[in-house]
Amino acid sequence: MNWDFDQITQKAEEELRAVASDKDLEAFRIKYLGRKGLLADMYAALATASKEEKPALGKNINILKTRITGLIDGERDQIKKTKKASSIKELDVTLPGVSRSTGHKHLITQTIEEICDIFEKMGFSVQEGPEIESEFYNFDALNIPKDHPSRDGFDTFYVDMKNKTNAGQNMLLRSQTSPAQVRIMQKYKPPMAVLVPGKVFRPDAVDASHSFMFHQIEGLVVDKNIKFSDLKGLLEVFLKRLFSDDIKMRFRPHFFPFTEPSAEVDISWKGGKKDWLEIMGCGMVHPNVFKAAGYKDGEYTGLAFGLGVERIAMCKYGIKDIRTFYENDVRFLRQF
Amino acid sequence: MKISLNWIKNYVKPGISVKQLVHKLTMAGLEVEEVVSANKDCVLELEITPNRPDCLNMIGIAREISAILNKPLTLPKVKKTATQKANCNIVIKDTKGCTRYIGTVIEGVNVKSAPAWMKEAIASIGLRPINNLVDITNYSLMENGQPLHAFDYDKLEGGKIIVRRAKKGETIVTLDGVERKLDESILVIADAKKPVAIAGIMGGAATEVTATTKNILLESAHFDQILIRQTSRKLGLSSDSSYRFERSVAYQGVEYGSKRATQLILENAGGKISKYKDAKISKTQQKGNSVKLSVEQINNYLGTKATKAQIKTGLKKLGFSVSEAAKQLKVASPHFRQDILREVDLIEEIARIIGFDNIPISLPPILSCNIPSEPRRPIRNRVIDRLLSEGLDETVTYAMYNADLVGQTGQIDKKQLRVINPLTKEQELMRPSILPSFLSVAATNINRGQKNIKIFEIGKVYTPKAEEETLAILMTGTNVSDWRPASNRPVDFYDLKGALTQALECMDLGKGITFVSTENSFYEKGQSATIHLSAKVIGHIGKVDGDVLRTFGIKEADVYFCEISMEQVYMCGLKKNGYDAIAEYPAVVRDVSIAVKKDQDFGKIENLVRQLGKPILSDIYFKEEYLGEKIANDQRGLVFSLTYQDKKRTLTEEEVNKVHEKILSSIMEEFHAVLR
Repeated sequence: MNWDFDQITQKAEEELRAVASDKDLEAFRIKYLGRKGLLADMYAALATASKEEKPALGKNINILKTRITGLIDGERDQIKKTKKASSIKELDVTLPGVSRSTGHKHLITQTIEEICDIFEKMGFSVQEGPEIESEFYNFDALNIPKDHPSRDGFDTFYVDMKNKTNAGQNMLLRSQTSPAQVRIMQKYKPPMAVLVPGKVFRPDAVDASHSFMFHQIEGLVVDKNIKFSDLKGLLEVFLKRLFSDDIKMRFRPHFFPFTEPSAEVDISWKGGKKDWLEIMGCGMVHPNVFKAAGYKDGEYTGLAFGLGVERIAMCKYGIKDIRTFYENDVRFLRQF
Repeated sequence: MKISLNWIKNYVKPGISVKQLVHKLTMAGLEVEEVVSANKDCVLELEITPNRPDCLNMIGIAREISAILNKPLTLPKVKKTATQKANCNIVIKDTKGCTRYIGTVIEGVNVKSAPAWMKEAIASIGLRPINNLVDITNYSLMENGQPLHAFDYDKLEGGKIIVRRAKKGETIVTLDGVERKLDESILVIADAKKPVAIAGIMGGAATEVTATTKNILLESAHFDQILIRQTSRKLGLSSDSSYRFERSVAYQGVEYGSKRATQLILENAGGKISKYKDAKISKTQQKGNSVKLSVEQINNYLGTKATKAQIKTGLKKLGFSVSEAAKQLKVASPHFRQDILREVDLIEEIARIIGFDNIPISLPPILSCNIPSEPRRPIRNRVIDRLLSEGLDETVTYAMYNADLVGQTGQIDKKQLRVINPLTKEQELMRPSILPSFLSVAATNINRGQKNIKIFEIGKVYTPKAEEETLAILMTGTNVSDWRPASNRPVDFYDLKGALTQALECMDLGKGITFVSTENSFYEKGQSATIHLSAKVIGHIGKVDGDVLRTFGIKEADVYFCEISMEQVYMCGLKKNGYDAIAEYPAVVRDVSIAVKKDQDFGKIENLVRQLGKPILSDIYFKEEYLGEKIANDQRGLVFSLTYQDKKRTLTEEEVNKVHEKILSSIMEEFHAVLR
């Protein structure tokens, strides 16, 4: 193949003079250096050239390539400089940026995670328990008497499932996360500090503050010498981290069958509407609960607490209606 | 329960402001829910916890105030019943339902208006004054907690009281004027012929005290709390009496209540006692328990430094008697404190007296434990994070669903787990799938103008045997968020498949999941698949059937849905990542463009290519599906690129060509493909 390399170089230089934009320059580049460009043809020819021709031809092709590349680079700089000097606007920089928007974790999940994080940092282990429970774990093991009203169909949902371990006992939808207490105590030995988040169910008529399904988090600490003052200290640390250091709190005596003494915790903060807002229940694990778990009487003491996830979220974010959580309007979901 | 402070002041003088008293009561476990001041009195609404039935009356509250504030308590004195009177005719036939019945017949009463102080007292807590006899029974009940009833003695057939179960077919018109059908489950007070009261709940109209009543029979009794609760619920009828019986009434209080009311009647309505009987079933009277514990034990449990004197004084004010034996305190509880069974119950009483606010704070010594956290959580969180980054919003929906609507999705033929006592139709079934929940969420959003929805949920579904965690994803509308028109297009099957694949990217799925075209009643024909993991079907995916959508009120939208078992995913475990050295030798990329019949699955072609490409084929990248004018109607174009690479050397042109040619010829042969 015979090419007049000088002429080609000259022609290329002439062509380049006509180049005025990035687009022109790209066309020029493709003509010479593109996959089907002149240089590509030359290299293809080089492959089939005779042994004698190869060295000279190869050298010339390489010189041409270097020259063309140089020309393109030079011109590119030139174009840039021209552009810099002029004031032409190529972009409307005020148009909105485009991003791939990520999804949003449900506020209930976020609240559970936030609470679990606080306790996990204090050494708690997070556990889960079944939603469909036996009467034993939901009631008997929690020191709730056989004839207690909470066992009525008015307060607990029962399901049409066979009880595998005790055919005489009904299966139900757990009405609290507390049944996990005895499950965990049977499975592990103290010392233990565990947290159990999950769904619970109660046949309450639905309104702004009641739902037949909601979420609770149960906490349990068992060791040789756990004291009521430990319960107070632990929950004070927790609530201050969850809300803020300047909240006030109080422990008010209450009654739960599975703790003794039992308390409800109220909090208040500056600018809050009410004086006190009930936020959680807690107490010292009742000896009968230890008994149900098969622990020797008096060997361990423990503290337990439970809180409503929706209640905490409603309180933190000023949500007025609990149904908002379950409607899943995307305009709600995307706020958090 | 409502209490009047003026009334309370008959027994104890708090000597502090109402605001302070409200705080003290609340902090002692008697939460004050409302304070209303009227007529120089102050009425508090208290929440009494179920373990404290002894606080459901003025004296009970006064006793608490006396203990909390360390003030003296003065109780109304009742006179001992004078001499032996003639026996009142009382027969307790149902000895389980009624363990004690005191009947007092008072003759020659003068029915008139009650004295002003009494009318004021009962009116202050919301009771309507009627006449002196009725008002006295109410006043006495509210004062000491023992329910009472006054019968017109002359209207009792045979002058008899029989405590028995009702007979089937019997009826009674109660004081509220309603005729009620009775049955064998209901305990009644009857005379010689008929029921005259529903025991512990409400008296009958036929024997009620009226303006013309001359002689009365005063009932003070002890009924079984469970029986009363069941009857009250069954009849949908409750009263101040049944409220207290349900929560337990003190056995020994039966006598005090009877005597107190008798005395008030004699003082305010005249008359004289003609007959009296205390019919008791249990021989031993219900007594309080005795518990031993040490000061050290108390302080260890609470983290306090309470002194022996402090503990003793507090308990005594609450009605306990305390003696010392060895190094322990022996505490006997009063008869009305049946809730005190063991040490911890007493410790709570001491904590209340000290005040929970005064108990110091500390932290548990060791919070670290060797209990492993739930292994599902980190996996679930990884899956959630991936789905969020794919732009999907997480939902939380109800675990129960309307059975009819579940049926409309074609899923009712699966075995169902039913709720035995749902409140509404929306709770009758434990959902067998998240599909109905998600179609409701989609419908709600679309109806509110939110047409572009991408959501997911990891939640439970249920069978009659188990609860199982599943992952569901739903997509409908357009892929938006971009104003550049080229990127806006409706979501489709591949968006959903892509999100699902991403979600599971972190899992050790072995050979991965595969999609097999399958028909499913709730998906559009030809647009759905089952999802396989090894040999197991772990879920399904597809475009939701239009008829199903219309059932849920979705009219003009394409909805894509998939659901897979998280239980199966969890079993795979997280991928254990090792480092894969970056290839040092160059890769050769070859594009393949073929035309095949529409019903040929790319998956099969891909499998063949992988098989034949071994060991130098390192990647297959799918680039385009073409369904257009430039191709025959029954054909489609597929474009994909094949990457050949070896980790240890540079591949030669010849060996790549050899493999590539073999792949091309096999595709053409096996799938009747032509190169485009």
